Amino acid sequence: MNTKLKISNVTKIYPGCVANDNVSLEFNSGKIYALLGENGAGKSTLVKILSGVIIPDEGEIYLNENNLKLNSPSDAKKNDIGMVFQHFNLFETLSVFENLIIDSDEQREGLREKIDTIMKKYNFSIDLDIPVLNLSAGQKQKVEIIRCLIRSPKVLIMDEPTSVLTEQETSELFLSLKKFSEEGILIIYITHKLKEVMQLCDEVAVMRRGKLVSVSQIKNENIESLANKMVGQNLKTIKKKKAKTSSDQLIKITNLNFTSEDPFETNLMDINFSVNRGECLGIAGISGNGQSELFQVLSGEIISEKNSIEFNKNYIGDLNPQERREYLMAFSPEDRLEQAAIPQMKIFENVALNNFKSSNFFNNGLINENKIKEHSKKIISDFNVNTENIELKSQFLSGGNLQKLIIGRELITSPDLLICFNPTWGLDVGAINYIHETLIKINEQNKSIILISTDTDELLKLSDKISVIHKGKLSKIMNAEEVTSEKLGILMGGAN
Amino acid sequence: MIIDINFIGLIIASIMASAVPLILASCGELITERSGVLNLGVEGMMIIGAISGFALMTVTGSLIIAIFGAMLAGVLISTIFAFLTQTLITNHVATGLALTIFGIGISAMIGKNFVGIPGKEFPVFFEGFKDTIPLLGPILFGHSIVFYFAFALPFITSYFLKKTKIGLIVRAVGDSPESASNQGINVRLVRYACILYGGAMSGLAGAYLSMIYTPQWIENMTGGRGWIALALVVFSTWNPIKILIGAMIFGGLTIIQFHMQAIGVRIPVQFLTALPYIVTIIVLVVISRNSRKIRLSTPSSLGKSFYKDN
Repeated sequence: MNTKLKISNVTKIYPGCVANDNVSLEFNSGKIYALLGENGAGKSTLVKILSGVIIPDEGEIYLNENNLKLNSPSDAKKNDIGMVFQHFNLFETLSVFENLIIDSDEQREGLREKIDTIMKKYNFSIDLDIPVLNLSAGQKQKVEIIRCLIRSPKVLIMDEPTSVLTEQETSELFLSLKKFSEEGILIIYITHKLKEVMQLCDEVAVMRRGKLVSVSQIKNENIESLANKMVGQNLKTIKKKKAKTSSDQLIKITNLNFTSEDPFETNLMDINFSVNRGECLGIAGISGNGQSELFQVLSGEIISEKNSIEFNKNYIGDLNPQERREYLMAFSPEDRLEQAAIPQMKIFENVALNNFKSSNFFNNGLINENKIKEHSKKIISDFNVNTENIELKSQFLSGGNLQKLIIGRELITSPDLLICFNPTWGLDVGAINYIHETLIKINEQNKSIILISTDTDELLKLSDKISVIHKGKLSKIMNAEEVTSEKLGILMGGAN
Repeated sequence: MIIDINFIGLIIASIMASAVPLILASCGELITERSGVLNLGVEGMMIIGAISGFALMTVTGSLIIAIFGAMLAGVLISTIFAFLTQTLITNHVATGLALTIFGIGISAMIGKNFVGIPGKEFPVFFEGFKDTIPLLGPILFGHSIVFYFAFALPFITSYFLKKTKIGLIVRAVGDSPESASNQGINVRLVRYACILYGGAMSGLAGAYLSMIYTPQWIENMTGGRGWIALALVVFSTWNPIKILIGAMIFGGLTIIQFHMQAIGVRIPVQFLTALPYIVTIIVLVVISRNSRKIRLSTPSSLGKSFYKDN
């Protein structure tokens, strides 16, 4: 049976921001649709309206000519619209089966059979009786998909589904989605990754600043044309020049181990690597394989044996982050609002936070506000942070601006080594480009980077050497030119 | 010295009796906390239950009205808490503390007229079987309906949370209210219900104190039992069966230290009085030392306000 979904003149206004401005779209089953746009373009708002999480101010939604009133997520479910959110809607401490049964009206045994059938059909294999927090991101996503499939949906919406997946998991997901589409499920695929749109979809709708910019067939588009539509300007592509080979060793990690008391953290086993001046070492891996522990050990949040880290001919394994900064290391953690900055504090106050000793920010224990403000203004202009107001609380900066501020704060002291963890996570194309350019510039100034990232494209673009972390162990270190994303994917999955 | 075996039975029975209010209040609070709400007003709700039960019994003469009235009073006062924390999104900790202070104050005010009035005898079951079995007789028989209910409650609570759909929904809301809301679960409704249930159980616990355990009204008669109940929930890592163990240890040591004081054991009284608190916490910490299980049973959203942004 054909399914036809129509969005007609949908508008949603938030204070100070029009999230959806008079958007109209039409979808037919049998095709996979891409909804493309940068962060804040309004695509998430639109799909939240389709799934009943957000109620639009104006506009109608029709499914097979029936006008739908979607006032809550259960209304969407009743009307056979299934949605897999970017941030999983799973209950971590409940078992997989409990997660699946919670919104089903079926009896336990009947449901178990149904789930087994679905898993066999699509080749999923998940233990139903373990808690969700023990699953990998890919498995969690499959649980979400099963949750939708139980209800035999007519429409399946996927919101940025690949941001947490490996290459292999992504291609598995694409196979499943194609299969669903062949079976008559209408698929709407939300993303900002252009490559995926080209690979998977039949039609693409591009959104920018709340407005629908274009609807077109994939066969009439290419990556550049889509990128320009999405950003609204011509993007220059950046490319790293091959670094001068230097043999001047800056940091050396020897037999570093970390055993956590928390069973949900990953233990690090026998980590060995070194980075030369002017080099960028990329560390790839699926999130949750020890990256955050590795970052904490390198930054001094977790203290290790003195001799395990040698930096600039000093042994610094037992120093805390503040002391390591004095040896000219700098850090950009993954979670911008939780670890890197204090959201309730003003921009200039955050700037002062990582510079307690080696600066003139403080006189006899008193804050030298003028100095800090002067310094903050310099960061804001040097690093292109899009605000004039250094009194603004950091929580009101967009992700991209906050990341620029953090990197700027770290770099203005001109450190010898910058360690960053997923620096472009969740940023839009423009901001990603800027961060990438900045990182390349650092290497050109003969300074080094350790880049821990889950984004393979980013690693291949920026790194000189690459290693893969899997279950707390590092693979051997490879030259970036010899590595392909397929090879990384295989290593990330744990194979040799 | 020959100790009558039935005497030991009687001591165990009195230990169990002193554990009853703790079990009731803790199991109620456990459900509240499993839904992600931290209600520090247990002491206040208990004392409201105590005075309401005693006052209704004195005024109406009906024990049934008194018991259910006390539970209703617990529900009413917890409705204030629910309205403040769930509808007006106030801070759980501050609101709970205020509730306790409010409860103690208002119970003292109402209770002025009931000081010194003798209570009524509460009917007990199977009185006649008490002497039929040595040791077990006094433990099993001759208790009030509330007593039997209290000892069944941890098992009912455990079954409810693990095996029923509503129990699953309660745990889900406590784990992630955002996900629950996106799944179409009415988070606020679930939390309201759990808070009100906690209030009813605290009210019942209070009524047990003023109507059955020591049938009279004394100002501030809960004497910190509400706080102990709260501690039991946390140290039992939200496990109803461990609450039962903790409540028995606490009740046991309270009774035994009385006897030790009476015999004249040469240990400072202050230490004996502190003993139940110390030992209960140590035992519960030791039996709950499995960080994996703690992670799986701790409601992740405990004490955090949830509001839907539309």
